[in-house]
Amino acid sequence: MTALPGFRSAPASRRSLLARLRGGWPAYLFLLPTLLLVGYFSYFPAYTAITRAFTDWDGLNVPTFTGLENFQRAVTDPVMGQATLNMAIWVGLGLLLAVVPPLLISELIFHLRGKKRQYAYRTLFVLPIVIPSLVLLLVWGAFYRSDGLLNALLGAVGLEGLRHDWLSDPDTALLSLIFLGFPYVDAFNFLLLYAGLQNIPDEVFDAARIDGATGWRRVLRIDLPLLRPQLGLIALLAIIGNVQYFISPLVLTSGGPGFATTVPALLMYQTATRDGEYGYAMAMAVLLMIVVVALTGLSRLLGRGNR
Amino acid sequence: MKRVGLTPGEVLRQALLIVFGLLALFPLYFSVVNSFKDRVQYAENLLNIPTRLHPENYAVAWAQIQGPLVNSVIVTGVSVLATLVLASLSAYAFALMDFPGRHLLFGLTFALLLVPEFLTLIPLYVQIQALTLPSNYLAIILPTVAVGQPFAILVLRAAFEAIPRDMLEAARLDGAGHLALLRRIVLPVSLPVLVSVAIIRLIPVWNEYLLPSLVLDERHRTLPVALVTFQGGGAATAITPNYGALMASYVLAAVPLVLLFAFLMRSYIQGVTSGGVKG
Repeated sequence: MTALPGFRSAPASRRSLLARLRGGWPAYLFLLPTLLLVGYFSYFPAYTAITRAFTDWDGLNVPTFTGLENFQRAVTDPVMGQATLNMAIWVGLGLLLAVVPPLLISELIFHLRGKKRQYAYRTLFVLPIVIPSLVLLLVWGAFYRSDGLLNALLGAVGLEGLRHDWLSDPDTALLSLIFLGFPYVDAFNFLLLYAGLQNIPDEVFDAARIDGATGWRRVLRIDLPLLRPQLGLIALLAIIGNVQYFISPLVLTSGGPGFATTVPALLMYQTATRDGEYGYAMAMAVLLMIVVVALTGLSRLLGRGNR
Repeated sequence: MKRVGLTPGEVLRQALLIVFGLLALFPLYFSVVNSFKDRVQYAENLLNIPTRLHPENYAVAWAQIQGPLVNSVIVTGVSVLATLVLASLSAYAFALMDFPGRHLLFGLTFALLLVPEFLTLIPLYVQIQALTLPSNYLAIILPTVAVGQPFAILVLRAAFEAIPRDMLEAARLDGAGHLALLRRIVLPVSLPVLVSVAIIRLIPVWNEYLLPSLVLDERHRTLPVALVTFQGGGAATAITPNYGALMASYVLAAVPLVLLFAFLMRSYIQGVTSGGVKG
């Protein structure tokens, strides 16, 4: 049997590296489009971001090296301080919203009787992905307006005193953005947890029942420990996602009123697109990336340590 | 087998689920009913189904977002298809071919999953501005395909590796080359996985806002960008927009996804639940 070049079953180890490189040409050809594309549109911009963070760059002209000046400016900027605090609140509350509602719903559905019934309800909670995320954002923006649904409902139950222009009041703007999207059952997180529950062997549940672990005790003793991998992944993705998220403040409040809804990622975006300070913006981006990497590392460490 | 009964607990659980499920869909209901109201009707009641309908809102909305809707379909369709084609080639190489540097190159592709999007957003914008492309669509399609590669390759490689070797060997003995093998055996056998990957990628691409808002010119702008423009200065501004037309545009923006998921819901659920997490 004469092998075509590049087939994995070819007796590769005996041949010289050069011959193998030459024999691998179909593989390199297959990989070429992907490598060109990710090289130019993923690796190169990442390289630009990291190197330009140390320069004074306006996006057009040749950057001049300024060392750590941008970073110094970022960590001493009071606006960045407020933005970081906003981000911390967002990440903390966002974590709760990412984990608790999907967990509650997947538990409720998983313990329904009958596969068909479970399937129907599972579909019901995946269905909302047909709402484009920007539509959800804009509709909620309309809910929050002074003539919006939230105030109309408050008026209807006799709580006129609580009526607000929710996004224009510095005290409520940030929380309004964070709590946008009731009931917060993210389809992806929900499916992950539901699949996790399905993967638990029936014997485990049977044993738990014999030991008297039912209802809440079963959830705490059996379900939660066995869902650790899924919960860990959701938590990690939620943290990383919220650290870099800034579409709703960008679209609904532009970071205001004042800096009440400004987060570091939004500040980075505005510093580049509005102020034209690309070098400084890249320093912020690099700082944020360090936060993301640190949190990822920390969570993996925690995940491993407890096992 | 036990009969599927209705105990009080079961009724309570189902009632809770229905309430929450409908609340999750409420923004869609809200958009639909209010898309048929004029300004006065909107101000009077936000929740009822109007007695006198104003379908002309849809004409106003359609005039605004007809172009962007077509653009979104083109951009999303081409991006997802191209993602699949390129990722299939790469995944085939990683799964079924032997060549020096296989692990290194796979590691390099995989590592991209760790590059956060906000880091590359601004440099990409600057880079694309400086690039002369034959079509403005490509300004968003090319980076989107690049971003989709790591995930698609990861999933497809696993699927391709799981194809029984006998099947591939038999075809090889019949003289099939790599391309023939990919086209006639690997891709058809992996069709369910391809559909899952396509639909999981499709959601974020359809919803993408940031980069399109920066790199697409007015004629090529996609739906999310157009919706924000149509809406005006944001909810914090004092001007009262024409809500009926606005809501009609939201409904129109959801229609393609509704149609798609009417057919492919099962693939989406299977894709997320099977590829999810292992230990």
